[in-house]
Amino acid sequence: MKNIEKEPLTLALPKGRLTEQVKELFEENGMGFSFENRKLVAHDKQGLLKIYLVKNSDLPTYINHGIAGLGVCGDDVLFEAGYPFYKLKTFSFGGTAMCIAGHKGDVLEYTDKELKIASKFTNFTRDYFSKMGIPVEVIKLNGSVELAPVLGLTRYIVDLVETGNTLKANNLEVIEKLADINVHLIANPAYYKIHYKRINEMVDRIKDGGKDE
Amino acid sequence: MPLKSEKILNLPQGTEVIHLEEALQHRTLTRTLNDLYTSWGYLPVKTPVFDFYDNYRQLLTGKGKDNIYRLMDRDGDLLMLRSDITLFLARQMGLLLGETELPTRVCYSDIILRHQHREDISKNEFFQTGVELIGSDGLEGDMEILLLLNKTMSKLELPYYLHLGSRNLFNLIIEEKNRSIKLIEALSERDIESLRSEFSVLFTPEKSAFLCTFFQFIGNATEMKTLLTRGKDFLPVEALKEAEYLIKLSEELNSTGIKGELRLDLSEIGSQPYHTGIVFQAYMDGLDSAVAFGGRYNDLLAHFGFDAPSVGFSILLRKVEALLKKSSFEELELKPVKAEGCSWKERFENAEKLRKEGRIVTL
Repeated sequence: MKNIEKEPLTLALPKGRLTEQVKELFEENGMGFSFENRKLVAHDKQGLLKIYLVKNSDLPTYINHGIAGLGVCGDDVLFEAGYPFYKLKTFSFGGTAMCIAGHKGDVLEYTDKELKIASKFTNFTRDYFSKMGIPVEVIKLNGSVELAPVLGLTRYIVDLVETGNTLKANNLEVIEKLADINVHLIANPAYYKIHYKRINEMVDRIKDGGKDE
Repeated sequence: MPLKSEKILNLPQGTEVIHLEEALQHRTLTRTLNDLYTSWGYLPVKTPVFDFYDNYRQLLTGKGKDNIYRLMDRDGDLLMLRSDITLFLARQMGLLLGETELPTRVCYSDIILRHQHREDISKNEFFQTGVELIGSDGLEGDMEILLLLNKTMSKLELPYYLHLGSRNLFNLIIEEKNRSIKLIEALSERDIESLRSEFSVLFTPEKSAFLCTFFQFIGNATEMKTLLTRGKDFLPVEALKEAEYLIKLSEELNSTGIKGELRLDLSEIGSQPYHTGIVFQAYMDGLDSAVAFGGRYNDLLAHFGFDAPSVGFSILLRKVEALLKKSSFEELELKPVKAEGCSWKERFENAEKLRKEGRIVTL
């Protein structure tokens, strides 16, 4: 019978900038790690964590299936995945906003017929406007969403906006901010329940300068 | 070989096929548990595969509502397929039972049909086994059900963690209905920031801070006693009594030498709106969600016309079966021998003889 107390906790990280920020934070808190050349699995220096590097949008799937018990993920990805996870900590970094945007000077008009919106975030968009009682038609795009109004596919887009530079470059602008998007340390609920002591200790160790000072 | 159509290759979502050794293991396990329940005085019941949706509409919320298959009968009535045996059973018992028949002990093992997402095939929520103790309130009923759950889990010979909480405790502290919905949501996500913000609307900063800690508590009886000492000024008297009841329950259970690790967990408040007292979930390493769950629901039967306190649990058996290779259930003897003989009579007689010795024999 394996001794679960001795096995490292499993953590999935999304490839890209977020992982670099997590790496920096964990290093500051004595849980530094690094991925060897092109490897997708790493351990922290103390052997507390086994870390997997996965595609951002696949991360909830790994957690939901219990392959990794913990993960670092943004609200946008969580919303689209729709799985029930615990949010154990919100990080100070990676925050952004989900916005509806359109041509410069355009306003949100939904009095005559349903809104037609292009977005990568179809679940978020449908839910957000449904809760407001506004019918929407959502067209799924996988990238370069800004092109939709430029090429006339839809009048509006719903997308993550950080600086707004891409919108500006395409003669578009934010019409309304719909939600703040934060980055969280998430857990599979069953995994958390089994390993709660060690996970709590780990969460307590992570002092995020931007939030915990 | 001709190409097979997509419909031939796939099953509809929410159902499964099991066969040969796997089916035998499932049958053996089901029989073992049913025999256990009978030895504890629980008699089997069978519930209908589908029933009128309107009977359950008020009792269905969230995911429980989303994953139901609905259909229409020839008279235009909306039906639902059996997605949770407890509900169907409560309706049957609510109609059938009378005061003189209490307490009644029933058990069930049956297929359930829930929609599962095409890309989320890990849940294995296809088969539910469980028991209900109707007409026994308080410690008497709670202890019996928790001990039987422990015995059930012991039969599986796999380590488990039993998390015990109380919906009643939550209801006694949070009286405001509108806020309680948001708090239940925050608790279900263990979302500390939302919890803080919801509590701060209802209570003083000191009480909010305590309740955040309180509803995130997981630990043993001693740790919970320490927590209660800190919280005496913040908890209503009735809530304190309920918390002390949980401690007593855990001490009684531990005194019996239960096999699993028992943890008092105040974030366990039950996912069903009909829970009224203790609630619990059992977790196993290697499974992505709770394998067994249950609790007290004293008002559920009244919804169907007969008022009696009830407590019970269910196990999603197909989830556990994935782990059983690591336990004694892998030792099922499946090596048939062929009967020998010069005539059919001789072969048949030899086969019968060997079968009497417990061998598996083919003709």
